[in-house]
Amino acid sequence: MALISRSCSGFLAQLSSLTHHKAFSVSTAAAAIQKMTRVRVVDNSPLGSTPWHRSPRVIHVYTKNGVGKVGDRVLLAIKGGKKKALIVGHKMPGERMNPRFDSNNVVLIEDNGNPTGTRIKVPLPTHLRKMEGDYSKLLAIASRFV
Amino acid sequence: MYVLHCSRQFVSQILSHNVLRGYTGVVRDACLISKARRSTTFLYRRYTCLVSQQLHPHLSAFYNGIRRYYADLHNEENVLKSDSPGKLLAQQDEYEMQSDSSQRNPQEDFNISVLVSLLRQENAADICVIKVPEDIKYTDYFIVVSGSSSRHLRAMALYAIKVYKYMKKDGDPHANIEGKDAEDWMCIDFGRMVVHFMLPETREVYELEKLWTLRSLDEQLSSIPVETLPEDFIYGADVNVTK
Repeated sequence: MALISRSCSGFLAQLSSLTHHKAFSVSTAAAAIQKMTRVRVVDNSPLGSTPWHRSPRVIHVYTKNGVGKVGDRVLLAIKGGKKKALIVGHKMPGERMNPRFDSNNVVLIEDNGNPTGTRIKVPLPTHLRKMEGDYSKLLAIASRFV
Repeated sequence: MYVLHCSRQFVSQILSHNVLRGYTGVVRDACLISKARRSTTFLYRRYTCLVSQQLHPHLSAFYNGIRRYYADLHNEENVLKSDSPGKLLAQQDEYEMQSDSSQRNPQEDFNISVLVSLLRQENAADICVIKVPEDIKYTDYFIVVSGSSSRHLRAMALYAIKVYKYMKKDGDPHANIEGKDAEDWMCIDFGRMVVHFMLPETREVYELEKLWTLRSLDEQLSSIPVETLPEDFIYGADVNVTK
């Protein structure tokens, strides 16, 4: 969220003047994470932390339908290259007693499943543990659980 | 299955009775057959149980109710070991004898000491067991283990799974190896315990022990720069922006 706002802070200055007209298209609320969603990389990997003029975007979701929820792997376009990542939280509400995050969080992952960064400062949901998949590595480098 | 269980109890009573009496009946390879359904498939009997009526006439009432017990041993070694005439087998031995792969050992549970001992047996280097406090509702014990090569890691992980499968009880969940296609880092989540098998180089990179002992005081965590919002940030102002 901070990355996105930083990149379009100049845009906001113009925006404040045209509060009532929409000069751009608005799409309906989409489900969780799909292609072209901008995501926030939450680990301390150098690839996710260095600034770039475009925020990291999802270009492919590795599920049967193209919708990504918590625990799904996605392919990101980040700093001019492709990288696999794992979704650890999204803005869309899910199960009742599962946390909903204010940003679409993602952790970068190698092709063999190892996380690229070494620490995750952002809280991770605990229901990741019960899901089928290789999440123990992410839970091992996490610092907070929610 | 309930019939089997009942009959096992009967056997234990009979056998313990024998021990008390000091009888040296040749009880070789006591086995259980269930009722009609399984009796046809379970025909691996070697010897019949010689707790016969002539030795214990007063127990014949028990005995008649239970039919006959036949040994079901798949392991040759166990047959050789237990095949000592004149030796009375207690219930304990009976469970140990039935150590073919389909049976499970319900006597002990798979706790931390079992896991650490099997890791030591596998020549695991640098076993680090961290007791995680109750506030972190993740697990009780966090174990990090090094191996000499990726084959070593894989062998340790598979052996741990094998032992867990043998010792787990009916209510326990299955444990699977995570990170099978990674060569340098594999982990297994056993519920109350989590084991991480890493190569020494990988261990240096991630420093999991530091994180899990120092929790929030960890240096890698504190070296992550704090994310600050820009001064002109308006919450929700970028909702309708498409870039």
